[in-house]
Amino acid sequence: MNLAWKEMKRNKVRFLILGSIIFLISLLTFIISGLANGLSQDNASLINDLPEGHFYMSKDANQTYNLSQIEPDIQESLITKQSDTIALAIQMGFVHDPHNKQQSVAFVAATDSPIFDEVEAGEVILDSSMKEKGLKIGDIVTNTQLSGDLVVKGFVKHKKFSHAPVALINIEDYKEMYRVDKMQFIFIPGEQSSEKFNGYESFSKREFLQTIPSYNAEQMSLNMIVWFLVIISGMLFAIFFYMMNVQKIGLYGILKAIGLKTSKLFNMMWTQMMLITSSSLVCSIAASQLFNEIAPVEMPFRLTMSTTIQLSLVFFFIGFIGATLSGIQIKKIQPLQAIQQGEI
Amino acid sequence: MSLFSINQIRKTFTNGEVEEEILKGITLTLKEGEIIALVGASGSGKSTLLTIAAGLQSVTDGQIIFEGKNMSAMNQEEIRKIRASQFGFVFQFSHLVPFLTVEEQLQLMLDVSEYQLKKDEQKKEVNRMLELVGMNHRKNAYPSSLSGGEKQRVAIARALIHQPKVLFADEPTASLDSKRSKEVILLIRQLTKDLNITTLMVTHDKEMLAFADTIVKMSDGVIVHKKESIK
Repeated sequence: MNLAWKEMKRNKVRFLILGSIIFLISLLTFIISGLANGLSQDNASLINDLPEGHFYMSKDANQTYNLSQIEPDIQESLITKQSDTIALAIQMGFVHDPHNKQQSVAFVAATDSPIFDEVEAGEVILDSSMKEKGLKIGDIVTNTQLSGDLVVKGFVKHKKFSHAPVALINIEDYKEMYRVDKMQFIFIPGEQSSEKFNGYESFSKREFLQTIPSYNAEQMSLNMIVWFLVIISGMLFAIFFYMMNVQKIGLYGILKAIGLKTSKLFNMMWTQMMLITSSSLVCSIAASQLFNEIAPVEMPFRLTMSTTIQLSLVFFFIGFIGATLSGIQIKKIQPLQAIQQGEI
Repeated sequence: MSLFSINQIRKTFTNGEVEEEILKGITLTLKEGEIIALVGASGSGKSTLLTIAAGLQSVTDGQIIFEGKNMSAMNQEEIRKIRASQFGFVFQFSHLVPFLTVEEQLQLMLDVSEYQLKKDEQKKEVNRMLELVGMNHRKNAYPSSLSGGEKQRVAIARALIHQPKVLFADEPTASLDSKRSKEVILLIRQLTKDLNITTLMVTHDKEMLAFADTIVKMSDGVIVHKKESIK
């Protein structure tokens, strides 16, 4: 006999209230986590979305990418050696849109590679968030440091750097705008361990992100917010399941008195926990995805499947701990105690 | 023939530094189909004796022999198995499971006792037992909609559905009015005799004593008087 289900069916309101609380707590966690991830992505999606690989900066740049310079002969030899090697340069700047409004962007120039779309001189590919600012394909944007104009060739999704939308330009335009003749750093895709080049320092993707000003501090704050929330939500989860079961000590005592196995009582508690948690999580995942769809584009929100699964597993695990802890209390209870408590 | 024997049972409770002996060497034998009534003043140890005999609490010293096996030397799981399959319980309160219907209360007991019946036979058995206690018409009702007497009838049916060898009843009529008490007494008497179930009950009810085969009077943790009925 499925006691867990029968109890839930009979006490619908009670379990619905409990499920609603679990739904609200998990929804809060999903939303905050999505916002934090969105903010993090807003800072460095350009780098985050690159495949695994290694970055190389000149040692004298002291781990500051915009002080780094790659010697052209090194750049050439590396690209010749491994064709998917990319030489990159990033500079914060701005463009004037057709309405002469100034828009902040992160100019990115890169050597030919399948990772970045090809851009001819006089062309620009923008992050799709610029569409919201009224820009469209074929529009002309200008920069005071560049003699010619830039024609918007297209848009790319979710490419941001230091919270600014990326503007992918040709290397020649970049050199003219910033009066330089060298690229800033090299990216070599691949899982293999980094090679050593004299005068250059190697960074993994994670290490490179740390060199972006303010990235580290921002990430620490965001991670702190998310983990505090997960811990507090988790504790609330565990407390709710614990309280729900401890309140029923009288009932469990009677069931033990008539000879029900303690393992069946544990199964009853775990089944209820699983049913409540899974139905609440399904609702909160659906609600957070709906939020993702209707949230304004300016609001960075990113809730990936892996984050959703990770958080759901944390909730299941904590719910399981809460139910098990109360089970241990119930295991200790003597049937006689329950009988002496009077009618349940 | 002796089914159940209680040999020199002692039970001591410790309250802080004070040790109190509730049962002081009780010896009692229960024959198959016999109804034994335990009587005595409050605090005489009759309920403690009943719960110890039923395996609901441990003894400090002494032996409880059920069908030749020493229950006092068994572990919790072995005692649970005996409780589930060989014992039935009726308490002062019905202690029905609030979220199960009358019919489900009995089905649960059949599941717990691992009474080997097919599903349709199980249903028939439940109906038969509900018929015996006069509750068939309320088989889909939940405990919250039953009167005290009805609840106690269901509790009796639950205690006997798996055909236990011993029924333990702790003041089963204490929460009922005199009319309902009489009904419940007659029901216990009739069913235990029909099914040849040994009964150990604690009671203050004089009418109930009239049906007992043996009346055991306790005082201060000892048996002071034992009287067998002439019936």
